[in-house]
Amino acid sequence: MESYLTLGLVLCGAPLFPGIILKVKAFFAGKKGPPLLIKYYTLMKLLRKGSVYSTSASFVFKMGPTVSFATAVMVLLFFPFAGADPIISFHGDVIVLFYIMGLGRFFTILAALDTASPFEGMGAAREAFFSLLAEATIFMVMILFYRMNGSLSLAHYFGGAHPISLISPNGSPLLLVIISMFMILLTENSRVPVDDPATHLELTMIHEVMILDHSGPDLAFIEAGAFYKLFFYAAFIAQLLVPAKLFSGPVYTVVFLGTLVLVYAMVGLIESIMARFKMNLVPKYILTSFALVSFAAILTTMGVV
Amino acid sequence: MENFFIALGVLLVGGVLPLFFYRLFRLMKVIYITVTMLGSVIGLCAVLPVFGHREVATVSWPWLHLFALSFSLDSLSAFFVLPIVVICPLTAIYAFHYMDKERRSTRTAVNFFFFSLLIVSMALVATADNIITFALVWEVMSLSSFFLVMYEYQRETTRKAGYLYLVFAQAGALLIFAAFAVAYSHSGSFAFESFAAIPAEAKLVVFFLALIGFGSKAGIFPFHIWLPHAHPAAPSHISAVMSGVMIKMGIYGIIRLYSLLQVNDIIFGRTVLLFGIVSGVLGVVYALGKHDIKKLLAYHSVENIGIILIGAGIGMIGLATGRPVMAGFGFAGCLLHVLNHSIFKSLLFMGTGAILHTTESRHIDQMGGLIKRMPITGRTFLVGSISISGLPPFNGFISEFLIYYAAFQGLSLSGSTFILMMLAIISLALIGGLAAACFSKVVGIVFLGEPRTEGAAGASESGLSMTLPMVMLASACLVIGIFPQTFIELAFQGLRDMHGYTPVADNLIAGISCNLALAARLLFVLLAASLILRKVFYRRKEVAAGPTWGCGFTRPTTRMQYTGTSYAMSIVDFFKPFVKVTTSYSGIPKIFPQRADYQSRVDDIAEIGLNRGVVGPLMKVLGRMRWIQHGNIQLYIGYIILAIVVMLFFLYNT
Repeated sequence: MESYLTLGLVLCGAPLFPGIILKVKAFFAGKKGPPLLIKYYTLMKLLRKGSVYSTSASFVFKMGPTVSFATAVMVLLFFPFAGADPIISFHGDVIVLFYIMGLGRFFTILAALDTASPFEGMGAAREAFFSLLAEATIFMVMILFYRMNGSLSLAHYFGGAHPISLISPNGSPLLLVIISMFMILLTENSRVPVDDPATHLELTMIHEVMILDHSGPDLAFIEAGAFYKLFFYAAFIAQLLVPAKLFSGPVYTVVFLGTLVLVYAMVGLIESIMARFKMNLVPKYILTSFALVSFAAILTTMGVV
Repeated sequence: MENFFIALGVLLVGGVLPLFFYRLFRLMKVIYITVTMLGSVIGLCAVLPVFGHREVATVSWPWLHLFALSFSLDSLSAFFVLPIVVICPLTAIYAFHYMDKERRSTRTAVNFFFFSLLIVSMALVATADNIITFALVWEVMSLSSFFLVMYEYQRETTRKAGYLYLVFAQAGALLIFAAFAVAYSHSGSFAFESFAAIPAEAKLVVFFLALIGFGSKAGIFPFHIWLPHAHPAAPSHISAVMSGVMIKMGIYGIIRLYSLLQVNDIIFGRTVLLFGIVSGVLGVVYALGKHDIKKLLAYHSVENIGIILIGAGIGMIGLATGRPVMAGFGFAGCLLHVLNHSIFKSLLFMGTGAILHTTESRHIDQMGGLIKRMPITGRTFLVGSISISGLPPFNGFISEFLIYYAAFQGLSLSGSTFILMMLAIISLALIGGLAAACFSKVVGIVFLGEPRTEGAAGASESGLSMTLPMVMLASACLVIGIFPQTFIELAFQGLRDMHGYTPVADNLIAGISCNLALAARLLFVLLAASLILRKVFYRRKEVAAGPTWGCGFTRPTTRMQYTGTSYAMSIVDFFKPFVKVTTSYSGIPKIFPQRADYQSRVDDIAEIGLNRGVVGPLMKVLGRMRWIQHGNIQLYIGYIILAIVVMLFFLYNT
């Protein structure tokens, strides 16, 4: 019951957090910024509207938002928020989950190509390229975690008898993992410095340009899916930051939520103080995250830590 | 075993009949398809019981008083016969509408004959039980497929491709026979069982010689060069069988030989794994760089053979290091991927054939918007694409997951094996991402958007005999994805008779397949729920149609769409040291721009290397020897006499 309740809260609460990013950005720009609930207003506005479909598009275009929404929700079913048992979990679920996210991406790309727009094709190509590099980092993290506690499921990474934790004797390489997962968070969720969600020129976009032609409830599905995806990555990092077993009960939840806010604020901070990379620098940026995790993996396997 | 040979007999009769009925074009095709299906069903019924009971059936006939032709049907053979009897009849049905040129009825009849010969010889390769038998049926398989490739022999590219294929098939066969000869020289017996008794160093030589030989059939990088040439040349249903089924015989050879040699050295597994990693990654990178859709699919075969070998390599390492779970899952993933690949690859080749049939083009940048004109082909191709990219809830994911599972088990090893396992996991992830990128390109450019040429705009859906097999294969992809239990069990059953294999605990297998099934079904439920939610939100909503947002540009044309070339370019560029990319751009020299010209091509480094390193020097040496071939028949007879005299001399000396 508790896990269903947690999931319900997460599904309802995830759109709140991107508001934090906007607030932080507004603070750095010396502005007041939109209200915290802005994303809810956006979703509601979109859901009230109808849609305009391109005459070039086929049924694949309409499937794109639904699939990306469903896959994003699916991932949350497996996540142990603040140490709570997830709804389901099994050995190997991380592999399944990242492949399911791949399915969502596959359909987003197809929906973009379905519009016959050269700009959307460009965005799709970038999305495909960058995400495949990011996948290498993610699997390297899995390898490292497997070496650390022999598990292949989110629930056992952050719960169970031997959770992965910063304060454990071999926990120090996790600092590198946290940094590189944060870099992957920025990549996979199209944030600065990989992509700029606030840009106005279609040529320079990645994610935004792919969804140019979606409107109404379809766009709301995409937005909600994106909020969940961002929430998943942020929660992943927050779980790494908050040492499990140090807290319990409501305190754990509060500390977890606080860290989560911190992670989102960090995204906003990066967005305020950095510019977007040139496109040809992005692969190097993603490979840096890969190198960091590989380094952590080497340290762990060599028995240095 | 009798039923098995009855099935092969029926298939052979089915192949011979068209040679007599070629004047009645439609009747011939109907007879051929009916008999082939009958034979395959009998074959399937003969093979399936093998998984259930434990004894191995063997049959042996004397041949030429000297040799014995012997066959045995154990679970491993049975597993490799499975794709043959499932895929081949479907491609035969497909051929009904695909081979629709009545003026070519004789040639079609011959094509059917060789097709049946190929089916029978493949089934025999999978069951051959001694050196002579294997060599014989292996050659029949290579030659019959050569004639199938040569269907459009009046085209020069086809003749070249066929010739290249023949060279590779024969060079590969040469290496395999050399390996057998080494084994024979130690054991003095033709029987496969005698392989286990030869000394360890000889085993090493036998295995690696045969690995290259089988590798050239399977399409392991860098022995894959014939694939991207032969597939575009062959008719599509032949490509489907060659890529989906025939190249797996190479894999069968490798696994069978490994089992026969009863080796326990880790070097075998490591080498196979390394070959798998290289083939997997480079295969898919080249696939991304190719825009001839059949070439692209051919490179995807290289990639999938890579995945299969990664599984086999992990399995071998598991056996060598005494980890039965790792070995079991590695080999089971490998076998299941053999089956899965045969399903989705033949589906994709059939889809390609349907496109070729109506648009008469193979270049993806000349297509577009086909899903609206060919709804069934488009939807089934989409299913095939998701499956080959290894994405859930389809079958490709199931086998890749088993391989991942085995590789993660192997992470507890130490030293260089650990690094290999790490490489295997990372490259599997990379292959998955690259394959998804490549097939989003194919589906996106070919089936979605607007047609780029008139040929694509005028495309229409193909006949029922072509769409029906595609629908069946697409449903098979989904069924294996959502109900994986039976098929995972089948793959483990296939391993039963392998040497050194200790059965993995049933509850472990059942647990994992249940979890995979659960995940796939959950995804399905969530998708359905989201679709319903979407329906609810769109109730009583205004839905309008309009042009695509052109970002301010008001006069877009279909030629402005993103092309496959530009879609893949940045990824291909990333792999540059391993891929040769040549581009030429005319630039804009004047103030008022005129026609600009841009070209890019991606060349295979293996092909370049082969040309430079082997073919070039060989041509140089052999060119000097040309005077031997003068066309004078008396002198040729002289050569023969000379050769006999020299041989006699050697015989008497020893």
